[in-house]
Amino acid sequence: MKAEPSSPRTFPWRLQRQIGVTPWAGLLARGVAVLLALIISGVVIELGGLPAIDLAKRAIESTLGSAYGLQQAGLLATSLILTGLSVAVCMRMRIWNIGAEGQLFMGAWAATAIGIHIEGPVIPMFLAMFLAAAMAGALWILVPALVRAYWNVNEIITTLLLNFVAILFVNHFSMGPWRDRVVGVLTATYRIPYELPSLVGTLHIGILIAILIAIGLYFVFNNTRWGYEVTTIGRNRRAAEFTGMPVTRNILIVMLLSGAIAGLAGAIIVTGTAHRLSGFISNEYGYSGIIVAALANASPIATIIAGFLLAVLLNAGIVLSTQGLSVNAVIAINGLILLFAAIGEVAASYRLVRDVEEGPGESPIGGPQWGTPVESAAGAVDTGQGGEVET
Amino acid sequence: MEDVLAGVLATAVASGTIIALAALGEVLAERTGVLNLGLEGIMAMGAVSAIIAVNVFSTTAFGGLVTSAIVGLLMGAMFAVATVIFKANQVLCGLALTFFGTGLAGRLGAPYAGQPAQARFQRVPIPLLSDLPILGRGLFNHNVLVYFAFLLLPIIVTFLLYRTRHGLSVRAVGENPSAADASGIGVAGLRFLYTSVGAGLSAMAGAYLTLAFIPSWAEGVTGGRGWIAIALVIFAGWRPIPIVLGALLFGAVTSLGFVAQLRDWGIPAAFLSMMPYLSTLLLMLIPFMTKRRGERRLGTAPDALGLPYFREEG
Repeated sequence: MKAEPSSPRTFPWRLQRQIGVTPWAGLLARGVAVLLALIISGVVIELGGLPAIDLAKRAIESTLGSAYGLQQAGLLATSLILTGLSVAVCMRMRIWNIGAEGQLFMGAWAATAIGIHIEGPVIPMFLAMFLAAAMAGALWILVPALVRAYWNVNEIITTLLLNFVAILFVNHFSMGPWRDRVVGVLTATYRIPYELPSLVGTLHIGILIAILIAIGLYFVFNNTRWGYEVTTIGRNRRAAEFTGMPVTRNILIVMLLSGAIAGLAGAIIVTGTAHRLSGFISNEYGYSGIIVAALANASPIATIIAGFLLAVLLNAGIVLSTQGLSVNAVIAINGLILLFAAIGEVAASYRLVRDVEEGPGESPIGGPQWGTPVESAAGAVDTGQGGEVET
Repeated sequence: MEDVLAGVLATAVASGTIIALAALGEVLAERTGVLNLGLEGIMAMGAVSAIIAVNVFSTTAFGGLVTSAIVGLLMGAMFAVATVIFKANQVLCGLALTFFGTGLAGRLGAPYAGQPAQARFQRVPIPLLSDLPILGRGLFNHNVLVYFAFLLLPIIVTFLLYRTRHGLSVRAVGENPSAADASGIGVAGLRFLYTSVGAGLSAMAGAYLTLAFIPSWAEGVTGGRGWIAIALVIFAGWRPIPIVLGALLFGAVTSLGFVAQLRDWGIPAAFLSMMPYLSTLLLMLIPFMTKRRGERRLGTAPDALGLPYFREEG
């Protein structure tokens, strides 16, 4: 209780864990995580006999050094922002959608089904394809969402297992019934005759759709009753239940919305860049979306930035695949980034505090982030909305 | 007909081995309260390190197995440093390990893709039993890893968890770490140990894939089996014996798919390949479907599963 003057502790400062992370500490931690992961990867690449610094230079030049490189990165960012948003929407409620990859494939499948079988004026066709894709994505997460909402079945594994099913499903159609027999390709469908219009060069307007959805979600989460409910349930489910918020219904809505966004990403890929459905349309966008959402701390606006960051990395992996990098290498680097970001999240919750006589004034402030267990979130409801979740 | 039955049984046991090894490893980690979602990545690294050991460094199959087990232990230790020492979010770290492992395995293994393994685990028929009709070929004519996964390991894990004081400590740490801590059990130490050991077993499942089951390496060779193993732990209610039975059941589904494909039952190959994933999903739901209101199910998750343990201070 009372610190004696002759206390053996001479150093008056110590680390104290706080509940929640201030936005700046969290941002700093994630920045350091990305840098640390890149440096370690560089050292490993160098030890593996490849010129790491030279590769990094080329990666930067090839992406940021030319208009074409920027446009390519923009295309990758379109998919990554959308899958990132898909994961982030769930993450707001502490639900994990690991199935964005599968929902993306099902969305692409639905858009292709309409695109290659129906003819019509361009704008209604696009609306139909996008709507079908969003519905297919939502349908693909329906079972995991129902069993999560009503039986509390772990959604990480159910959503993930369906990814494998979705890819097999798409492969069946792209290599079987819908295979382009005119051109004679083995693994892709007929070309979809509808193309998303270009914005600049090779970059199509999909990027605008992605950014608009991000902005829309920002407003929904910060300015609507429903957005407030979702954020509150995410912070403290039990408290939200006590105040009468419809938790089960919101779990369903959030998960279906998440699936719909991922499905839309699939439609944008097949109508914008791939033009034919195949098992190769996704560079593991659904999985990378998890990293995007984690780096963005589930904030829609930050998702745009994190999406671009990972897009630049992924583009480097694709462009430099002849020099020894590859998409796989980038996935491994992404894994390191995520690992360090998770550690950084905890590190950021520590403060250096001065050991004075303890008083009530020292109680930690700020609500919990998605990284902290629900149980520690008691009493966080009254902190209001949008206070510490970065936007 | 006899041949078909024996073949189905043999394939069921062989493909169930992969899941049994990984799931028995995972149950050790989860019983201490650590949810390791990185199995898929660990298994991929185990698979690739085994093939590299055997094909590049010309070790024996056993050497390849040991190599992959060491790689798995190291990856498990890496995960434990992040989640047990730094107390980082276990879901994020597990996913990170999956990305890291599958990505790195894909990059490292690229030059060896499709190469047959230079050393393999040979069949060791059990005397007398292997002469039985159907069952002999189906159950008693496998390599040592199969016997290890289905006989030795489940016995060891069951005995360890339920018949020793040490096992009681392990379960206590998973159920109530602060009570365990108060009674003098080293929470972090046990969590670190069994997360690493569990990861080592998953890596051995990968080695079994490349040195016995297939036996070669290709990108995506693990095909979600790490995740299926995690689902199986839930299905089995965190108990070793049901895990082994579940692995056999899973193997049977996979095996039936192979037979249907070979005999051309008219079901497209893609849909047959979906069966393991869909049936795993269904199996996972069964404990929840049969749960009656107000009744405490046998085999629930350890109470502290997935939660980092902070000792309450001052």
